[in-house]
Amino acid sequence: MRGTVRIAVAAIALSVFPATVRAQTAVETAKSAFGEDVHAAAGLTCAACHVSSRGAGALPIPSRTAIAPLCATCHSDAAYMRRFDPQVRVDQFLQYQTSVHGKRMAADDERVATCTDCHGVHGIKRVNDARSPVAPLNVTTTCGRCHGDPARMKLFGREATPPGDWSASVHAAALIKRGDTSAPTCIACHGSHGATPPGVTSVANVCAQCHVREAELFRVSPKKEIFDALGEPECLTCHRNHRIEPPQDTWVGVQEGSVCVECHDESGDSGMTIRRVREELDGLSAALSNADAVLTRAERAGMLVDDGRTAFQEAREYRVQSRVLVHAFALAPLLKVTTEGTASARRAQQVGEAAMLELQTRRRGLALATLVILAFLGTLWLKIRRLPPPSSQQPTQRAM
Amino acid sequence: MTRAFRGSREIFRTARKNPQARKSIRWGRLFSAMPSLETRDRRNVLNWLLGLWGGGVLGAVFYPVARYLSPPDIPEAAAVSATAGSARALLPNSGRVVPFGSRPAIVVRTPAGELRAFSATCTHLDCTVQYRSDLQRIWCACHNGQYDLNGRNIAGPPPRPLETYDVNLKDDEIVITRRS
Amino acid sequence: MASRLRPWLEERLPLADLLETLRHKTVPHHRYSGWYYFGGMTLFLFAMQVGTGALLLLYYRPSATEAYESVQFIVTRVPFGWLVRSIHAWSANLMVACAFAHLFSVLFLHAYRRPRELTWVSGVLLLLLTLAFGFTGYLLPWNEVSFFATRVGTDIAATVPVIGHGLVRFLRGGNDVSGATLTRLFGFHVAVLPAIATALVGLHLLLVQRHGMSVPPSVERNRAADPGVMRTIPFLPHFLLRDLFAWTAVLAMLAALSTFYPWELGTKADPFAAAPAGIRPEWYFLWAFEALKHMPSTLAGIDGEFVAVAAMGIMGIGAILLPFMARNTPGGRRLVVWTGIVMLLFMSAMTALALAGNTP
Repeated sequence: MRGTVRIAVAAIALSVFPATVRAQTAVETAKSAFGEDVHAAAGLTCAACHVSSRGAGALPIPSRTAIAPLCATCHSDAAYMRRFDPQVRVDQFLQYQTSVHGKRMAADDERVATCTDCHGVHGIKRVNDARSPVAPLNVTTTCGRCHGDPARMKLFGREATPPGDWSASVHAAALIKRGDTSAPTCIACHGSHGATPPGVTSVANVCAQCHVREAELFRVSPKKEIFDALGEPECLTCHRNHRIEPPQDTWVGVQEGSVCVECHDESGDSGMTIRRVREELDGLSAALSNADAVLTRAERAGMLVDDGRTAFQEAREYRVQSRVLVHAFALAPLLKVTTEGTASARRAQQVGEAAMLELQTRRRGLALATLVILAFLGTLWLKIRRLPPPSSQQPTQRAM
Repeated sequence: MTRAFRGSREIFRTARKNPQARKSIRWGRLFSAMPSLETRDRRNVLNWLLGLWGGGVLGAVFYPVARYLSPPDIPEAAAVSATAGSARALLPNSGRVVPFGSRPAIVVRTPAGELRAFSATCTHLDCTVQYRSDLQRIWCACHNGQYDLNGRNIAGPPPRPLETYDVNLKDDEIVITRRS
Repeated sequence: MASRLRPWLEERLPLADLLETLRHKTVPHHRYSGWYYFGGMTLFLFAMQVGTGALLLLYYRPSATEAYESVQFIVTRVPFGWLVRSIHAWSANLMVACAFAHLFSVLFLHAYRRPRELTWVSGVLLLLLTLAFGFTGYLLPWNEVSFFATRVGTDIAATVPVIGHGLVRFLRGGNDVSGATLTRLFGFHVAVLPAIATALVGLHLLLVQRHGMSVPPSVERNRAADPGVMRTIPFLPHFLLRDLFAWTAVLAMLAALSTFYPWELGTKADPFAAAPAGIRPEWYFLWAFEALKHMPSTLAGIDGEFVAVAAMGIMGIGAILLPFMARNTPGGRRLVVWTGIVMLLFMSAMTALALAGNTP
């Protein structure tokens, strides 16, 4: 009987004791992380979030659905937040409530993201702190934790490809390789707190924030009405969404492998325009590469062709402009720019050719001068030979 | 050598007194002895040729020197300063892109009438910026980057301000200078 | 008219005396007399340098912000500027080569012997001046290679004991190579060094005139037995015409080199950029550079670099004082010849090593 009691006490102790040990370790970890937290720096303690009716010492973990409203008690209070940062926004919770994450969480689906999933729990840093999970360079990794996990996404009937696709995009290259923090990450197009896939009619507005000229041209082009009628998402129709690759001139055209051919064919005015646009783009590129070839040849031969390089730069800028003007989907505006660009490229080529000509002229001048010098040397040699032989009884000049 | 030289002196005196002999005497005979007429003719031809080619060599040397000495059309490298057109023609709230060395520069007259000049190479991806009178800002068409009238990057991708240049007026001509 | 010009000039200038002296001047002609031409060639190249240098001065700007652009301007916009600049650069290298050839030929032909000791001393000083011209001129285009080569070169001055740090500051116009260095080295290159060089060249030529051309001991010896071993030729016109021949040929060579191998502009110096790999000085300093590289870091407890620099210093002083140390006996002369051969081999080997090591 006493043995059984002892065993029972031991069993209870063993079951309770490790749990309390585990709880201690978790608290320790949390406390040390909190030391670096921006809330700790603002003077808040554990009790600010771990609200307990059982008094001090107990630190209940809020349920997942309760986290956002909990954060909002301060972060949506303008009067309160003003104390820490007069300009800080206080609409994050409102935005969250409009987001897909917020709506699902409100419907008690705990699988979606809430504040702590992105901002961290105890070691929360400011957004512009490079160590924060929502800093520009880290955001896509944070989103990718769920949205790049196939198992997790399958539960929602979604693919987990977007983060990987984005990493192969031209925007990712700008951000990661060039450190261009203006490059769009997930939140630039989807929003952060109000994260929602942009609607088909509004995604173009997002692109238009940076790609202003292209958007302006598109809006007044014939395509806008047609795409709206077809329900096509404007920019995305040709450029896709996540895996946005550097566009090529070969996308324009009515042959196999181009983008236009997905809707157009060779026939009619549109086919004609597409073909002409492509011709113009190709012509400008050819003029540029010809100019570059002759300029490089001149430079390698030791000639300096700075004027040519300046004209070449100008021509390159015209090429950039011409590619923007593709979005006018008409020939006339493009033609103006490609004509100017080709003229600049021709000027650059002329400078290069003049340099090569100058090189030839120099060599011809040298040949002439050398001939004259050789003739002189030959005559001089004859003269030297014809000098009277010096007699060996010459009175020598001073003693040697 | 002395004997040959004495011979030359003889020739000079002879030439002065005897006009006939003068015909076959030339300046270059200073170093000649008194040879036979045949050799003399050959030597004359040789000296004449030597003078001709020697003159050619000197010409080949002094022609490039003479060309070098005359200042070229563009008297100095436009690396440190450049002209930027008429000041009168630049109205308030307008701008003008001009070449400055091998890179573009932009001259702006603010709405208040002040002249300012900056590098026109956008600090984002090197496109050439332009002045937008509707925005009263310097604007880059490539990705909607914007700079205020002090060249500071205030909107869009550009990470740095535009380099500022000094502006001076020479009569009606704007002269922009790089700050060292 | 022309016949009245001469007496007019002769009355006022010592033309007659000068021409008379030159007419009597003779030059020995023997199997080694070909080496006599190297002195005149060095002088001709020096005259080329002064001429092209003066022309470059009309357009060059000695400041860190404008130097590179001014050279670019000369080479692209000034008519024949490319030619003047490339000739200046090529002629500088040829002049150094000629000066060394002249020195070694004088050494091996024992022309330093009494009474020509001062001619030798002024000559060695002129060689050092030529190297200084090369070093100071190299920085003036203000490109990447020359900037870093100057930095490395002036660093070596720091190894001189006691005055090392002061010497580096004197050379650089500050603690590091900067625009101040450019201005300072420019001043040396166009004013200070030419003034000293003119004086020394004047002295050197005066002494050569005074003593005439030296005949090597072996020729002197054989002459007694066989007079055909040596004859003399008049300076005017025989030797001078041959000199003129050589000078014109070299002029043609300089023009050809400038046309087919124009001197490059390089990239503008950026003091804050990292030194590019394979920085090295001009070829005539390579032997010293390579020798320094091969020195162990310490030699019997003393800093290796200091030992090398000290050794070079001793070599330099030894070279200057050679005529006072060498004995004019067959044994003494043989010692000089062997020293010369060893030096020549050493410098050639070091240069070859440096070139081989740095070939990309």
